[in-house]
Amino acid sequence: MPSTEALKVAVQEAIDRRGQELIEVATTILQHPEPGFREQKTSQLTARKFREFGIPFQDGIALTGLKGMLETGNAGPTVAVMGELDSLKVLDHPHADPTTAAAHACGHHCQIAMMLAVGIGLKEAGVLPDLAGRVALLAVPAEEYIEIAYRDQLRREGKLEFLGGKPEFIRLGALDDVDLAMMTHTSSTQTEHGKIAYGGTNNGIVAKHIRFLGKAAHAGGAPHQGINALNAAMIAMSAIHAQRETYRDEDTIRIHPIITQGGIAVSSVPADVHMETFVRGKTIEAFLTANQQVDRALRAGAMAVGGRVQVTTLPGYLPLQNNPSMLDIYGANAAALVGESNITQLGHRTGSTDMGDVSHLMPVIHPYAVAATGTGHGSDYLVQDYELGVLTAAKAMAMTVVDLLANGAHHARTIKADYQAPLTKAQYLSLMRSMFEEASYTE
Amino acid sequence: MATIEELKAQTQALIEARSAWLIDVAKTILAHPEPGFQEVNTARLVSEKLHELGIAHDTGLALTGIKGYIRGGTPGPTVAVLGELDSLRVPGHPHADPHTGAAHACGHHCQVAMMLGAAVGLKALEGHAALAGNVALMAVPAEEFIDVQYRWNLHQEGKLGLMAGKQELIRLGAFDDVDLAMMVHTSSSSAEAAKFALGGTSNGHVVKFVQFIGKSAHAGSAPHQGVNALQAAMVALNALNTQRETLRNDDTVRLHGILTSGGASVNAIPADVRYEGRVRGRNAEVIADANMKMDRCLRAGALAMGAKVNIVTIPGYLPMVNNQPMMEFFKRNAAQLVGESNLATHPPTRNRGGSTDMGDLSQIMPVIHPYTTAATGTGHGADYIIQDYVQAVINPAKAMAMTVIDLLAGDAAKAREVLATSTPIMSKSQYLALQDSRLTEELYEGQ
Repeated sequence: MPSTEALKVAVQEAIDRRGQELIEVATTILQHPEPGFREQKTSQLTARKFREFGIPFQDGIALTGLKGMLETGNAGPTVAVMGELDSLKVLDHPHADPTTAAAHACGHHCQIAMMLAVGIGLKEAGVLPDLAGRVALLAVPAEEYIEIAYRDQLRREGKLEFLGGKPEFIRLGALDDVDLAMMTHTSSTQTEHGKIAYGGTNNGIVAKHIRFLGKAAHAGGAPHQGINALNAAMIAMSAIHAQRETYRDEDTIRIHPIITQGGIAVSSVPADVHMETFVRGKTIEAFLTANQQVDRALRAGAMAVGGRVQVTTLPGYLPLQNNPSMLDIYGANAAALVGESNITQLGHRTGSTDMGDVSHLMPVIHPYAVAATGTGHGSDYLVQDYELGVLTAAKAMAMTVVDLLANGAHHARTIKADYQAPLTKAQYLSLMRSMFEEASYTE
Repeated sequence: MATIEELKAQTQALIEARSAWLIDVAKTILAHPEPGFQEVNTARLVSEKLHELGIAHDTGLALTGIKGYIRGGTPGPTVAVLGELDSLRVPGHPHADPHTGAAHACGHHCQVAMMLGAAVGLKALEGHAALAGNVALMAVPAEEFIDVQYRWNLHQEGKLGLMAGKQELIRLGAFDDVDLAMMVHTSSSSAEAAKFALGGTSNGHVVKFVQFIGKSAHAGSAPHQGVNALQAAMVALNALNTQRETLRNDDTVRLHGILTSGGASVNAIPADVRYEGRVRGRNAEVIADANMKMDRCLRAGALAMGAKVNIVTIPGYLPMVNNQPMMEFFKRNAAQLVGESNLATHPPTRNRGGSTDMGDLSQIMPVIHPYTTAATGTGHGADYIIQDYVQAVINPAKAMAMTVIDLLAGDAAKAREVLATSTPIMSKSQYLALQDSRLTEELYEGQ
């Protein structure tokens, strides 16, 4: 029986043999960006590659998601390797779709390529029979929590319950047979040093869709007959800002509204103003408390002008916890690939990811490959090093899968046994549902 | 018997002879400004001067007010000539009291002098058969509705009922024996070109005494444990500003106020913030609507921060109605003094934006409230300075004394005519009931 090290070498070689083809997957997706729950082409491309690679899969999970499966033939835990299908929307990104503004300004296009690379690497290296358990290859929709009104409409139509891909995967049972999970996100040299960064935690989040309702009137001729919903929104935003001094540093609260409709005609008093916001925080308690303060501010805006506000609060993502034991294994593999000096240990990050939700149910890791330049979610975020962004990132994950599932899946079994899930799936679903609220205030 | 014109000429000559004395009174008051209900020295000075003129009077009316009489030879109506005792607070004013910031930035110091001037001119007619009825000479406190907390405390202690001078004098019955009233206010060349301006109206108002109640905490180490009452006030005032587009120009609404306490120490989250505000408008309905908007915004500030707000709404002034027939007498006399071309007459709908408790009096009896343009600068500003004391004191004293003669001469025929043709808008008891109904207090807890 070959050593684990030999198995890892074989997997790396197998990935390198497919290197050009895998990088092309990433650059193809880059050219066809699609926001969450609309990733039709990206989903089809992933399916085509699964078929080419002879990896059995299901598709249409949570509208556009896919789940491939590699069997080792030996009993053991299931390790999932995930890639995210969706793009952001960043109008002036050089690779933005000119009609939809969709753009891969967060590097998700590399993630699908990495996930496929792990799959084809493990398969073609012929190492699977030497492992125990299974490897699930997941292409997950909608990590970016955007287009809230659109997704909320899908929710109302019964096509979704939650507005993020992984919460939907959990709800639909697509992770029921998964025991451990990993994915690698790209990052920028502007944010991180070195080549691979890992560890730390992420903020959790609730999302809000808000409508201020006033009364239209001629803004010049009869403003006294109107009720200005835009002013209600302005007051609410001022009030939200006035709360900021009450946030504890350690709670890393982030509240950042946008106005998606601020009035229809400049000569008419705005009567229907739409706002979207996130309320983020390091702990569930922290962001739920901040959320109550935001609600108070929204009500105050409506109250001040004598209008109405409809507040829809949608469960977002839970804070991310990386599993330390999995990180140790991953860290050793990453160091072997890029050198110890190119590894960065992360602290708390104030963005959010639905990998946080998964981390409440099973051990996960969510490292970063520092392959881009520019600002994450900015128009200058460009993956420069595809070797690192796809192939090295995939190798580190594939090697970690080998470590976890080799020797009768000893490490995977140990980690699973030691892991105390903060929530069961049932508790998770009930927590998420408790965050959902639709309220209308006139005061 | 002397003709009316002879009586007026005699009156003018008497006032003229006392010019220096009268202007000195005005300047003495200018140098010793005292805000409303605290005009102790000013009242003492007025009392001394009335004694000097041999005019019996009562003092201590509505705390500092004074009322003396000159009685005619036969019974008849009583015409009151009023002067206001109180100053504003404008700390940067050149004549401001360095300790209190009190300053006569509205020219009231001239009013007391002109009231005494009218007394000087009319005293000679005491007991005279040419004059029927009486002249009431009234130095009234607290026309400027300021120091709201101070007055609210006096109200709570039972020392004040209504919280401005003429309002309280009405309540106390000091106007019960008065049938008609007049006073002249100074004005500035920045507001009026003419030497005398007549007519027009003023806004009514309600006064707001507001306390935002939060929770103090160390502003550096535990701001999350505090509830910031100053932020509540800021949110409320921002919200109030957004309402301005809903106010109709014709309604001359004015929403304004000051923070009298904005926190106790910079390193503690402010837990007790005080706001004194004013809601002005052209009529009761407009004021009620704007006041509703003010209250909505105050509550919204508290709600946003999870604070409380205590809102006291204090009955303020009613819009001014100048009595047209009385105004015609005054106008003819003023024209005689300064020439027709130096008069301006504003239509009754012309709203000056400000407010006066002479408006309250105008609801229950015929009054006039003309202006004499004797100052430069901005009313209530640090640069409001009386430049022409003859026009500020002597001419208005003469014009008022002459108008009293018009009204009360010939068995007070003209005063009786004015009273017969003017229907008061409300009775005293209706007035008091209305003002009582406008006093409200509400504690709103934002959560």
